[in-house]
Amino acid sequence: MGLDRHPVERYISWIGNAVQGDLGVSPRSGASINEMIGRRLPNSALLAFIAFVVAVPTSLAAGIFAGIYPDSRLDRFLSIGSLLTISVPEFIIGVILMLVFSSKLGWLPSSTIMLPGETIMSKPEVLVLPILTITGALFAYILRMARANVMEVMESNYVRTAVLKGIPMRQVVMKHVLPNALIPTITVIANNVGWMFGGLIVVEFVFAYPGVGSLLIMAIDTRDMRLLQSTAMVIASVYAFSNLAADLAYGLLNPRIRYG
Amino acid sequence: MKKEREVLLSVAGLSVSFFTPRGTIRAVRDASFEVARGEVLGIVGESGCGKSTAAFAIMGYLPKTAEIEGSILFEGKSISDLDANELRSLRGNRIAMVYQDPTTSLNPSMKIGLQVAEVVLEHMDLSSSQTSDRVIELFESVGLADPDEIGNRYPHELSGGMQQRVMIAMALACDPDLLIMDEPTTGLDVTTEATILDLVASLKERVNAGILYVSHNLGVIARVADRVSVMYAGQTVEQSTVYELFDSPQHPYTAGLLSCVPKPPQEGGETTRLRRIPGFVFSSQESNDDLCLFSDRCPLANEKCMTQSPSVISSPHGSEVRCIRSHDVDSDIWGEVEQILGVPQSQSETVLMAEQLTHEYGKHQKKYVLFGPETSTPVRALNEVDFDVKKGRTLGIVGESGSGKSTLARAAVGLIEARSGTIKLHNESLANKVENRSQDERSAIQMVFQNPTASLNPKLRIRNTILRSLRRFAGLGRDESQLRAEELMLAVGLDPSYLDRLPSELSGGEQQRVAIAGAFSANPEVVVADEAVSSLDVSVQAQVLNLLEDRQKELGNSYLFISHDLGVVRYLSDEIMVIYAGYVAEYGPSSSVLSLPSHPYTEALLSAAPVPDPTVESNSLRLEGAVPTMRERFQGCFFASRCPRKLGSICDDSPPPSQDAGEGNGHVISCHIPVKELSAVQS
Repeated sequence: MGLDRHPVERYISWIGNAVQGDLGVSPRSGASINEMIGRRLPNSALLAFIAFVVAVPTSLAAGIFAGIYPDSRLDRFLSIGSLLTISVPEFIIGVILMLVFSSKLGWLPSSTIMLPGETIMSKPEVLVLPILTITGALFAYILRMARANVMEVMESNYVRTAVLKGIPMRQVVMKHVLPNALIPTITVIANNVGWMFGGLIVVEFVFAYPGVGSLLIMAIDTRDMRLLQSTAMVIASVYAFSNLAADLAYGLLNPRIRYG
Repeated sequence: MKKEREVLLSVAGLSVSFFTPRGTIRAVRDASFEVARGEVLGIVGESGCGKSTAAFAIMGYLPKTAEIEGSILFEGKSISDLDANELRSLRGNRIAMVYQDPTTSLNPSMKIGLQVAEVVLEHMDLSSSQTSDRVIELFESVGLADPDEIGNRYPHELSGGMQQRVMIAMALACDPDLLIMDEPTTGLDVTTEATILDLVASLKERVNAGILYVSHNLGVIARVADRVSVMYAGQTVEQSTVYELFDSPQHPYTAGLLSCVPKPPQEGGETTRLRRIPGFVFSSQESNDDLCLFSDRCPLANEKCMTQSPSVISSPHGSEVRCIRSHDVDSDIWGEVEQILGVPQSQSETVLMAEQLTHEYGKHQKKYVLFGPETSTPVRALNEVDFDVKKGRTLGIVGESGSGKSTLARAAVGLIEARSGTIKLHNESLANKVENRSQDERSAIQMVFQNPTASLNPKLRIRNTILRSLRRFAGLGRDESQLRAEELMLAVGLDPSYLDRLPSELSGGEQQRVAIAGAFSANPEVVVADEAVSSLDVSVQAQVLNLLEDRQKELGNSYLFISHDLGVVRYLSDEIMVIYAGYVAEYGPSSSVLSLPSHPYTEALLSAAPVPDPTVESNSLRLEGAVPTMRERFQGCFFASRCPRKLGSICDDSPPPSQDAGEGNGHVISCHIPVKELSAVQS
């Protein structure tokens, strides 16, 4: 492990290897960290991807509806529901879902522990509860953002102009409201990709899901500094890249900050 | 022969109320007017008089909480009886509207060509290529340069004036029968306003529509309207032709509005004191059953006015007035005309002086920090500006937005640190940065800002705002400062009970008076007022201008008064400096600057300023475009790119000389054209 060398020297050599894609070997298990993360990253990505695909379109649609028809019955229901979902932490939602759907109803497995030879693909039902947990918070968050942005744009002078042009309401919404309301919403969504990766840690742990998040917790439990450092870095870079993607998407949608 | 008048729109007994948790708001109470084809009806009144609400009611565009009574008939059909589809087929097609703020009224993420094409596609049966031809034709008809290409631009790539032309093109897209224009030039520069008004005037000839033109500005109304309807507190109080209205107003409110506008800058002669309308517009929360709504502000009000709601009296030649004493209305009801006596010109010592004041925003930036092509150069906001403010006198500074007026004000106060040049107070140099000035130096120069709502601390009671500066600058103790605060409130015409209010409980004019009281609490020698009356209604503006005038006479303060409104500047100033792109174009005693010969820029500003008199023919000298961003140092004359009297290459190649106008009073014009020739071409 080279403990005879100066810490700075060791750090530099670690970082030198890390930027070349070699995260080293876990001092606990002796296994390659690259391999450990490499095995679990797709699992986390799968979970995040599905949650994203489920949550984004539905929450956007709901948020846009709520924003166009504020104070309608559906809007009230969605607003109160999303407020509840946001205020309750994921580990509680996860446990409640587990209690209802696994313990009481027995419809779905409560944990994702794999027997040797099994993969997630062979037991897709294990994904349902973790996805529901993550989707809940994400759905609520995006819904509230979309609703607020749509309401703001609906009040704007240019939407008034559009309405008084005499074009149909559908066209007003599609051409004038949505492009402008979605610009800030998309930034939020892209920021959420990173946030979701962080949130995964808790959810994965609750459901014992074999992802990067539970690896991080395992590293903390076993005081495996090198593994901890590497997993944190991976999560941080996903965060950073999704933020970058958000900024680029913003530039694409908003002509005012597009570069000539 | 006069054609048969074809009435397009007739509004009768319109009232619009909004039900809010805080009570009913009566935005429009009893408005009646007609618009005929081919004529422009101007609607005028102060803010809060229900002009815009009435306009939006005609479009059928009011919030759901609004309750409408009375009738709005468009070609004999009631707008409120139309279903959603019928309304939609009218909007944009038969009735089109142009709004106050073009920047926020255009969709920021859509190309302007598409935004105009949308209206054409919806209401006209045209193919896509015919549509794009139509859009180009429309852009051409509103005088946009490069009509073929401009449609591919986004709104933020256009100036405010161009944006408003796009809005007008959009409104004209389907040859509407009725065009509603709601304050279309408010917020635009006076030069831009003039070009838009020219466009509106030409529309009158070209399109066969009726135009409803809403404005608070009497000068604008005089320029465009054929007939005028005056609104007060949601009621139409007077209606007549534009000539009659300006010549012999029948309602005291109309007479008052006319008498509180400063005289147009083009007019010579003595400055007379502004008369003012005391009080405020009748609250929209009160009901109006048994009194004249104007009675609490009216000098002619008698007992009958307070107990009985006046009905509309029509005269045989078609004008209408809602006043029982209209035959007593004449020009003197708002007070005698008082001459303003200026302080003798010479022998006044200089209080504040600036020499070679220069300021730049931003830095030189190169692509690779130390080398490579320059990617960003500073904006030169002020270029070696000299001025001096004499004791008890006012220096007015005029120019379009972007000309460097505000930079100059802020540099004088020290809010921004001028890059070079000196500012002297009583011949002693001041630090350019306010932080480095002594307490006395700071209290000697105080500032009043444009937007009082934003410049008063919203969480602090008025008392605290004023006491803070009294203790800090005047060094008064607890009891003394309380007394002084009350004195100051009285001096600015506010009841001392206002001291315990929050800024949000005051109207805009009251807030501005508090801001002035705050500035005076430091016993300043110079007060810098940056567009201090620009956001105020004319009646309130008159109050504030009179207040400034009175304070000056009493205390001998000097003012550095900045405004884009030449009439206002003329009213208050002894000297005027005309500034363009950070350069002094013309400087001298106000009567000399505002009369010929003038710098071509001053000349353009003068001819653009709207005159509240419909009989005055508008001067046709116009400036297109806007003040250039001053990144490059000008090779030649700073004004060469827009100058209507440009001589030729000399203007592009060498900076203009500063010529004395030969009047012996320090009147200086920076121009290549000799003063004699200037006076010859301008007369």
